[in-house]
Amino acid sequence: MKKIILIGFKDVLLVFRDPAALVMMLLAPFLLTVGMGFVTGRFSGSTSSGLSEIPVVIVNLDGGELGNSLVSVFQSAELDELLVPTVLSDTLSARQLVDEDKAAAAVIVPAGFTASIIPAAGQDPGSEVMKINLYLNPGRPTSAAVVQSIVDEFVGRVELGRVGGEVAILQLMKNGLIGQDSAALRAAGELAGKDLASGENSQPLITLNKTSQGKGTVDFDILAYMAPGMALMFLMYTVSYGGRSILVERSLGTLPRLLVSPTSTTQVLGGKVLGIYLTGLAQIAILIAASTTLFQVRWGDPLGTIVLVLAAVFGATGWGMLLTAVSRTSGQAANVGTTVMLIFGILGGSFIDTSNLPVWLQWVSKITPNAWGLDGFSTLATGGSLADLGAPVLALLVMGAALFGAAVLLFNRSSIVER
Amino acid sequence: MKKIAAIIWKDTALRFSTPAEWLFFLILPIIFTFLLAGGAPSGEDDPRIRLTVVDLAGTPLSGELLKALEASPSIQPVTLTLAEAEKRFDQRQISAMLIIPASFDLEQLKAGTAALDYRQQPNNLNAQAAERAVQTAIQRTGSAVQIALNAVQQAESVQPFASPAERQAYYDQSFALAQETIDQAPKRVEISQAEDKNPVLYDPAVNASAGQLLTWVFIPLLGLSGVFAYERQQGTLRRLLTTPTEKATFLLATILGQVLTALVQISLLITFGALALKINWGRDLAGLAVIMVAFTFAASAMGTALGTFIKSESQASGLSIMLGMVMSLLGGCWYPLELFPEFVRRLVQVLPTTWAMQGILALALRGQGLVDILPQAGVLMGFAALFFIIGIWRFRYE
Repeated sequence: MKKIILIGFKDVLLVFRDPAALVMMLLAPFLLTVGMGFVTGRFSGSTSSGLSEIPVVIVNLDGGELGNSLVSVFQSAELDELLVPTVLSDTLSARQLVDEDKAAAAVIVPAGFTASIIPAAGQDPGSEVMKINLYLNPGRPTSAAVVQSIVDEFVGRVELGRVGGEVAILQLMKNGLIGQDSAALRAAGELAGKDLASGENSQPLITLNKTSQGKGTVDFDILAYMAPGMALMFLMYTVSYGGRSILVERSLGTLPRLLVSPTSTTQVLGGKVLGIYLTGLAQIAILIAASTTLFQVRWGDPLGTIVLVLAAVFGATGWGMLLTAVSRTSGQAANVGTTVMLIFGILGGSFIDTSNLPVWLQWVSKITPNAWGLDGFSTLATGGSLADLGAPVLALLVMGAALFGAAVLLFNRSSIVER
Repeated sequence: MKKIAAIIWKDTALRFSTPAEWLFFLILPIIFTFLLAGGAPSGEDDPRIRLTVVDLAGTPLSGELLKALEASPSIQPVTLTLAEAEKRFDQRQISAMLIIPASFDLEQLKAGTAALDYRQQPNNLNAQAAERAVQTAIQRTGSAVQIALNAVQQAESVQPFASPAERQAYYDQSFALAQETIDQAPKRVEISQAEDKNPVLYDPAVNASAGQLLTWVFIPLLGLSGVFAYERQQGTLRRLLTTPTEKATFLLATILGQVLTALVQISLLITFGALALKINWGRDLAGLAVIMVAFTFAASAMGTALGTFIKSESQASGLSIMLGMVMSLLGGCWYPLELFPEFVRRLVQVLPTTWAMQGILALALRGQGLVDILPQAGVLMGFAALFFIIGIWRFRYE
């Protein structure tokens, strides 16, 4: 046992003395976590995503009640943090700002928009439908979609008022409750329409009760998902790097030398595995400590976090051993290790939301320790505890054991660890 | 010239001497582009966000709501049983689910007590986008009832109804009229994108594909530093001193070899995107060629400069992957720059990935041409000049 521990610690020290390895193990996941923190708005105080202060240009050529009302919506205090509205009088200048990527969208309210919906006394609304023009910036798809949804909601309310007024009048007329007097008609229609459009006298008929996944009222910290996502991805680099040390020692001749000493093959292999496992644990522990200290990441249940980290590193170590067993040279192991790291990263959810992947690909992702690990970290971040981690922890342990078994078989067959 | 060609040939042969090189040259970029650009086959061509819906009511009203959801331009409702939906939601296989409770019917709607349950994964952009679409569908479904109730209220204010039956009849008439009028309502918003003179249909896959292309070209070009480190480690650079080969010849050939290989890689990836993912790379191929050549020069210059600082091939490998990934992320290659805070958007103007991405998006999404992207290409050539000067100035054979 002492020999296994000695070999293991020797390997850990060697890894932590290699600046190139430290760059990939610690610096890369840390910097990428910071970058993802910016994207998700974690460092800018946003509650949902990185979106805030969206520049939008409004050109109100209408000047009527509805055009002015839309401008007020964009300038309202409610949207103060989300939008930075600029009112211009020139359509071409507004479009130019979008073309130059200085605005996410231009909202152009055409002349006669109000009159086409609420005709003035004695005027015919006309048959031409006046449309608000939304000139969207394709380089800012999310911001443009936000602006579009605001305009859609406004137009929806206007349309509700228009149809409401029209239906109310037609029904009153049809049932002989009012005469053909145009002033009376107009007054009734406007009253009905404004009531509906303002929503002041009518409660929403359908309520949408929203809940986020998780237990109780937990303040979800997106970095508690992003940080382990990056850490788990680069953990795959660490375990393949550790596995490579077996091939490097073999090619340098230090492995045969070790094996002529009174040290068994099992002890050597056990020591190597222990070294990889301890290196992985140290890597994740350092990243967790750094993100907790610097960014106050809320990881959730501490006991659950510890058990999950132990299991995730075990599962990843199994992959590291298997990759070593199937590689012939350390260079080959490095290439395969980096490839697997990147593929597991994208499949496991380190880069993208895997729920939008096809279902068959979501099942394929289950072979990665990243997917199970992130599943567990998400459970903890949303208020779960150790008791809720049964599936991911078990899956990671089974994965590690099965892969380790397969690696031992392959090692025996290829006689890598042999005198 | 012969020497330059010989060095380029030697470097290319060395680089592709192992099959693993193909992983980074073509296979991984294709896998990443395929997954991120939504090319993975899911058995359907609908690009809308999938929203799981559980209809426990099965009433005409829930049918109306499903129709309104189906008509949404941004979400595609997928009906599942409650057990299956909850299982997938708990396994985080779906971003959000809408549950229509058994009691969801017209009577409840009229009473103003109708409610729906919307469950979403935390901090999930798809779930937030789907929620907006659900709100729109709800507004549409409830509006006919709201209008009919309002009409009844207006009638009552003129003259009370004689009986509940008369009131109900008035409501039914108003409801039918409201539905008919809503169905005939004209569109009052028109959407346009990019310049009218040369319109390009917006395709979100372009963002992902362009970003991946830049990432996977950038990392190996930064890895050019590894070529110098390798030759220095092997002592082959010292041997060059004994041959009648100028330092400039060696550097030019080494850099040119990597640039040419990168341009071949770019051509293959662009062809793949156009053929397999139907990506529209814009109509100005000259503009695309200029921005890509400028980018490869900028990236290879950074690789050259980096090569004068690092000591070993493994250092070069680690640093090029890390710097490549970080610069790609911050340059908007993985997520649109709009998601970053303002100060970060300003800071990342010092990265070549930012300018290259802006150039490609201008061509592919805004319908712009060669003249429009010259500023971006100019900045990239500026990066190239700066880092080549640093690289050549600091270059040592040993």
